[in-house]
Amino acid sequence: MGRVAREMVERAGINVNELVELLVKNASAELTTYYYYTILRCNLIGLDGETVKEIAEVARIEDRNHFEALVPRIYELGGELPRDMKDFHDVSGCPPAYLPQRIEKVEDILQVLVEAERCAVRQYTHICNMTVGKDHRTYDLALAILHEEVEHESWFSEFLGEGPSGHFMRRGETSPFVSKFLK
Amino acid sequence: MRKLTRSELRQYDGKEGRPAYVAYQGKVYDVSSSFLWRSGRHQASHEAGYDLTEALERAPHGAELLQKFPIVGELVEE
Repeated sequence: MGRVAREMVERAGINVNELVELLVKNASAELTTYYYYTILRCNLIGLDGETVKEIAEVARIEDRNHFEALVPRIYELGGELPRDMKDFHDVSGCPPAYLPQRIEKVEDILQVLVEAERCAVRQYTHICNMTVGKDHRTYDLALAILHEEVEHESWFSEFLGEGPSGHFMRRGETSPFVSKFLK
Repeated sequence: MRKLTRSELRQYDGKEGRPAYVAYQGKVYDVSSSFLWRSGRHQASHEAGYDLTEALERAPHGAELLQKFPIVGELVEE
């Protein structure tokens, strides 16, 4: 634990226990999403499915990166991950991104993907609002993750025909915003 | 429609197998089926059994996420 690091956040008026609980919930959401996206990706087949597979894979890898980036901050603030993986799954801040009933319908899989990303966008917006101007390090991390989650949402939304994302595909490495926390 | 006071609402806290109810703008919603309300707790900040009208103003989502749950009553004064 970073004793002074935690103290600074407390002194800024943040309920650190609540913040740590939210970070654990988000770490769980990221790792479980990584797992569920693995299943979704495997079922993205056929002409339509293969078209979506590449971005689903990028989102999957970046969500795992988000988990990796969140864990050090949880421990710095005096928190920890649950000992039991089953408990960790059940505290997730977002619902499980289960494979839909109609696995042959790419739109149904896209709906699961976009809803998962929308939950993540809400979660990190909340943490940014909570920490802005008070806990600079958590804010910086949550903002970096938020940048990537917003892009994920817009990619899937674009495939659903809700409107253009205005983005290009990733060029080069994944996690352009979060990678600084992984070095 | 069943009428619940705040103290009656408090009994539906989602703990030990009890249903999880929350109130919003005078309506009482049953959120027991929600993954995000397991054990009557939501996102480290909110507990079932309470009127969340004010809290929802500050939430990172709107009332539309609540409105997909069944309305089981109406919140009334004591």
